Amino acid sequence: MADQKDLDAFVTQVTRPEDFDDFWERVLAGLAEIPLEPSLSPDPMRSNAEVDVSRVHYRSLDGLEISGWYCVPTEGDGPFPAVIRFPGYKGEPGLRRDWGRKEVVTLTVAVRGKLGSHADFNPGYPGLLTHGIQGRDTYGYKGVISDCSRAVDFLLSRPEVDPQRIFACGSSQGGGLTLITSALRAEIKGGVAGYPFLCCFPESMRMLRSYPYDELNCYARVYPDLAREMLETLRYYDAVNFAPGIKCPMVVGIALEDEVCPPETSYAAYQRLTGPKELWLFPDSGHGNAHDYPAKETEWLERQINLTKPGGADD
Amino acid sequence: MTEHRTDPDAIWDSLDRQLEQIPLDLEQERDAFYSQPDWDVYRLHYTGLDGYRLFCWLSAPVSANGPVPALLRMPDYGSVHDIVYTPLRSVALVMNATHRGQRQSESVFQANYPGLLTQGIERQDTFVMMRVFADALRAVDALLGQTLAEVGPIALTGNGLGGALSLLAAARRPRITAVAADTPLALGHPELLEHDLVYPLAELTDYLRVYPHRKEAILGSMAPLDPVAAAPKVEAPVLLSLGRRDRGLCPLRIGELLAARLPHCDLRVYDGASEGGGHPHSVVREAWLREQLGVG
Repeated sequence: MADQKDLDAFVTQVTRPEDFDDFWERVLAGLAEIPLEPSLSPDPMRSNAEVDVSRVHYRSLDGLEISGWYCVPTEGDGPFPAVIRFPGYKGEPGLRRDWGRKEVVTLTVAVRGKLGSHADFNPGYPGLLTHGIQGRDTYGYKGVISDCSRAVDFLLSRPEVDPQRIFACGSSQGGGLTLITSALRAEIKGGVAGYPFLCCFPESMRMLRSYPYDELNCYARVYPDLAREMLETLRYYDAVNFAPGIKCPMVVGIALEDEVCPPETSYAAYQRLTGPKELWLFPDSGHGNAHDYPAKETEWLERQINLTKPGGADD
Repeated sequence: MTEHRTDPDAIWDSLDRQLEQIPLDLEQERDAFYSQPDWDVYRLHYTGLDGYRLFCWLSAPVSANGPVPALLRMPDYGSVHDIVYTPLRSVALVMNATHRGQRQSESVFQANYPGLLTQGIERQDTFVMMRVFADALRAVDALLGQTLAEVGPIALTGNGLGGALSLLAAARRPRITAVAADTPLALGHPELLEHDLVYPLAELTDYLRVYPHRKEAILGSMAPLDPVAAAPKVEAPVLLSLGRRDRGLCPLRIGELLAARLPHCDLRVYDGASEGGGHPHSVVREAWLREQLGVG
């Protein structure tokens, strides 16, 4: 089990490319040229007295159609605060109807490759982590991160959403995507990143034999001549390099027995946060299974939502 | 007599007779990308009920010599069942089987989440989950049919749906020597609808909100999948974990009924929800499986 001493002793070798910000500004600028084309299809079977549930779609990088689940409270006066939930690596994004009775809109995003968003991009699991990894512009995660950024645009396109009260959360890959998207999109006013994946790729590869990180070892073993390019690509996608750009309040939750996302690497992301931040350590828990985590996440988000002013700039 | 009182054994006997008539038609191909220094990874394809082509990942220790213990990990409720890491891969055959509708077993139909749990549930012969459970039986047949290594003791393991598939497969396949089931999906238990459910079991609640008059019909369709009913036929020792606050996979009361009916059950109850015992139980399970498989 890792302890605080291990976390403090860990120093990542990951460095930020000089043109990191330029690269992502270019990606977001290109994305802005693509019409969002948002649409909603109500799902009566999943809706109930408290929540209207819809399947939503919008366009993202390369014109791909991305889907998600969208839950809107049936009661209360909008515009409502909103929570985006980013998905884990292999799980399907689920419905979050529980927020509806709290008068909060939720959007769970099926990034490209997930069911509903994989008609034109389907590298599989395993597969996604190394898809197109030979270059920063071909890497599959360029699209995945774009899909997350476009989820913010989707919410901004909705009249029932208060644009000043958009929050983000997710676990594992969803934790990494929470960090990354919060750095790219200042519209996100706070986030909870649980057991974050996508942190300190070179060290994570060395520390574990479990997937998904081990996909990178497989790639390096089969294509040793391309290993250097792989690591260079990953510098543009490492959440620790996004962390300094996050200005909103952010929580990082770490399970000290995590055998999928090494605790030290998540802690490195936490250390690089420069805005208001909070650390949750779960000593006797593994990846994604700390008993208290879901309740703490809900409680923190509720508190942040209540701290922000409806319809106005928060200060 | 309502349909859900139909004898589950008769239904499974009939499905097993159908499976026996279908050639396994097993293809096995080494995957050079995911193979490791200590074990080789293979992609297996085989045929299940209705002629569906099914997929699994199978790893075999490089040093395999003589009968090799096997661990068959049954799929969770979700579209992906990947090559889950376990250190047992260096000493045992490890198989990660998918069911119809999951990734790489989706040539005919693709499962939806939520949605799969109630697909065709209005009638037993159209209820997809019956076929999903038959695919779990077929996975055991594929493990025994592969030609990479002679199979020694077999342990089944899984979480949620995978836990229920493991129990039912053990009830139907006496070759199974151990089962580690975590928060097994209580689909089919007659008391299930009395609980305040969350997903995935809440798919049933969603369905009944739209079709309230079909309650008896869905109880009938689900009945053969009830792990509590199948429990007395599980001869193998079972390590069962439950979460006290679980409302999505195996509500505690049903889990305790299940434990009471299993002939050889080591029950561990944790203060969790659907995640069950989390990390502490994963340590217990790993040691237990090693002991059952004789790999120390």
